[in-house]
Amino acid sequence: MDPALLVQMLIGALLGISVYLPLATGQLTLATPAFYAVGGTLAALLSTRWPVLGARIDGSFPLPSFLLELALGGALAGLLALLVGRIVLRLQGIYLAIATIALVEIVRVAILNLPFTGGAVGIFGIPQPFPSAAGYLLPALALLLLAGWVCQRLEVMALGRAMAAVREDELAARCMGIDTTQVKLTAFVMSAVLAGGTGVLAAHFLNTWNARQGSFDSAVIMLAFVILGGSRSWLGPVLGGLVLTALPELLRPVGDARLVLFGLVILSGPALFPQGLVTPGLLERLGRLGDPAGRPGAEGSRP
Amino acid sequence: MIEALLQTLLNGAASGGVYALVALGYTLVFSVLGVINFALGALFSLGGYLTYLLMGGRISANGGLPGWGLPQGLSFTPALLLAALLTGLVSLVVERLAFAPLRRRRAEPLLYLITSLGAGLVLVNLLQMLMGAEGYAFPATALAGLPDALQVAGARIRSVQVLLLAVCAAAVIVLTLWLERSRSGRALKAVAEDATTARLLGIDSGAMLRLAFLLSGALAGLGGGLIGVSISLPGPYMGISYGLKGLAVLVLGGLGSVPGAIAGGLLMGLAEALVPGDASGWRDALAFAILFLVLLLRPSGLLGRRQVEKV
Amino acid sequence: MTVDPRLAPTGGSAASPLLELDALSCRFGGLVALDQVSFAVQQGEIFGLIGPNGAGKTTLFNLISGLTPASGGQVRWRGEPIGGLGPERINRLGIARTFQNLRLFDSLTLRENVLVGLHRETRAPLVEALSGNAGFRARQAALERRAGELLALFGLDARADDSAANLSYGDRRRLEIARALATGPALLLLDEPAAGMNPAEKDELCALIDRLREQFQLTVLIIEHHVPLMMRLCDRLAVLNFGRRIALGSPEHVRHDPAVIEAYLGGQASAAGERR
Repeated sequence: MDPALLVQMLIGALLGISVYLPLATGQLTLATPAFYAVGGTLAALLSTRWPVLGARIDGSFPLPSFLLELALGGALAGLLALLVGRIVLRLQGIYLAIATIALVEIVRVAILNLPFTGGAVGIFGIPQPFPSAAGYLLPALALLLLAGWVCQRLEVMALGRAMAAVREDELAARCMGIDTTQVKLTAFVMSAVLAGGTGVLAAHFLNTWNARQGSFDSAVIMLAFVILGGSRSWLGPVLGGLVLTALPELLRPVGDARLVLFGLVILSGPALFPQGLVTPGLLERLGRLGDPAGRPGAEGSRP
Repeated sequence: MIEALLQTLLNGAASGGVYALVALGYTLVFSVLGVINFALGALFSLGGYLTYLLMGGRISANGGLPGWGLPQGLSFTPALLLAALLTGLVSLVVERLAFAPLRRRRAEPLLYLITSLGAGLVLVNLLQMLMGAEGYAFPATALAGLPDALQVAGARIRSVQVLLLAVCAAAVIVLTLWLERSRSGRALKAVAEDATTARLLGIDSGAMLRLAFLLSGALAGLGGGLIGVSISLPGPYMGISYGLKGLAVLVLGGLGSVPGAIAGGLLMGLAEALVPGDASGWRDALAFAILFLVLLLRPSGLLGRRQVEKV
Repeated sequence: MTVDPRLAPTGGSAASPLLELDALSCRFGGLVALDQVSFAVQQGEIFGLIGPNGAGKTTLFNLISGLTPASGGQVRWRGEPIGGLGPERINRLGIARTFQNLRLFDSLTLRENVLVGLHRETRAPLVEALSGNAGFRARQAALERRAGELLALFGLDARADDSAANLSYGDRRRLEIARALATGPALLLLDEPAAGMNPAEKDELCALIDRLREQFQLTVLIIEHHVPLMMRLCDRLAVLNFGRRIALGSPEHVRHDPAVIEAYLGGQASAAGERR
């Protein structure tokens, strides 16, 4: 398989997890493209305008600088999420979804119009920390493993259970003493940090970056990663992200009709797989395979 | 000076009218089904292309069908109305494909967002396939018979904006009168208020739902045709940004509120028109910045009703 | 009612009751749900709240637990006013509740439902939680044991890994009490805990509540329609009708209060309907 497509698929999986995290607290936010765009723009700016980072004339880029950018991109997106989250997470349901779409549009228009982001053309010639597309497989896979591991740990952590409680019944969770605002904000910030880091990776991988990278359409496509993959575990969005990112490329032979077919998949998927590809039943079977390793300490309370 | 200001305000009111049409399109479906139809932006594009085709406009489809067009074009008014009707019919197909299967399963509302956007993607990409990615401009004779400019209170203003505003106003008035006065309109409102009671009263809520989709699509189609003739058809994706602005207007006015959608649309259009020319790039963000501020102060929109959860 | 001196309140002045409602009112639009209701709950007692349907009992719980703001009056906890605090703050002060129409976390297991209640004790340092080291595992094992013990009190331990959605109605009621207890309350608000249970189950629940009071040094404020049960269980009762407190005192006193007899005879049909 083409390594460039594999990297794209991994990026899709990462963005899927980013949409999944707030959804795991029952909050439908579509802000991931905004944070992805912030991370990508930061990386594009820093690596092309800031010689200290060591971009060389042959277009290569030192690995430590790339790692620094990953941290900065994640941090900046997380900070933005912290500020915006306090405002928007007071909203419920569709109001929250639309407010986050508004954020995506504001960020898109800002990147299009700011004097230093290259307008509609964007920023190009972003230096390369890896000599070929295949080189990006390693950092993309590492990010995905990191994100998946955090999600897996959440299942046994107090925070993860609080997230599930807020998703199931926010009011009852509050009456259990859970600071639901804090829980929702934490999930939102984690989602943003992941999207920001993914944006940094994508900017270098794509070599150019412009405002089109984070749009409303991509927000709903990313949501489709989660819904078609399955929203009860982080494995769902990973599978959804991998498959749905690959699909338009695999459909390339049908030419112009490929995006129509892609639309048809998105259109018919929820009716065909209402619980997603990774269903709760499937997870239970997986869980039984993983027991007892997957549930540390469970044996201590068995009668 | 006065002339410029008047023209600016009129421009704002005209695009505000179109935003209101889109927001009303969302409102009709939302009030009956409680979900947002994300395919509305694509239907907006479709309305623009259909109006263009019905008027005898030539297409090229990326060079695949150079110069193809209907042998006999209609004049603007019948073309616009017919395009709106056809768009409404396509909206019914969208309902059948994207909404009906989920409704039968009583699926969670979240899924409708996905399927309706999927339907929108199919529509936009079908347009792209059949009509091409290139933009089209309506012929200069599209509005033959309409003078280029009108004298109003001593100021010359572009007549196409007056036409836009007039059509939007007429559509809104007809819709409101229909909802208030006619039997079917009141039945639709009854379903929106309380579907269970409406069913007990013998109202066919399925038929009302289809009616809501038909009207919603027709309003979007009307908006697309009007923007097409007054500006141009920049490409199949033209409806997406109007769809998004309509969404902002919808929330600004309060979900499900008809007067709110109209007031919100006008407010948004006027605010955008007052953005100075050298900052015009930022105009597209204004609607969303306003939306953000409003949600900050009033989490359920300007005219929305606050919902209280029952314990 | 005598108060065990060992259970004297830790906060506020020693003389103040655990929970005190002072002329508490609540209006929704023009509707008066609660009208100047006052009473005090002493440490260690089981205090019953009865009254016909729509008397404002659940509204009173919503006010105490911070879900609904009061329109007037004040709620005092250990002598300190707590009006205006959110439900999470109120829970942390030591007031836990159950819900009349059950609000469990359905897709979670029984154990997880209780663990959510234990969340304040489950907070491990982040590094420890992410690495899952020995310290974290030991802590986790202890918590799961605590959850298991709480479930065992209600006879639910055998089904600890079932999802809450699969429980019978009576077991759902029991699980909700277990979950509320997990938050470590000093005062437990029970909203119709025996609804949907058969007479034998009701007796069992009654004995259990009494036992819980001893074991957890609890104070209980309970709403229940089954009057004989309430007469047996409660140390004192308040009777609400149309948002007003019409009687207050020992079961014996309340039973013979003319206002109560009037309210119950007038509202007999609805009370009987409720008992089904």
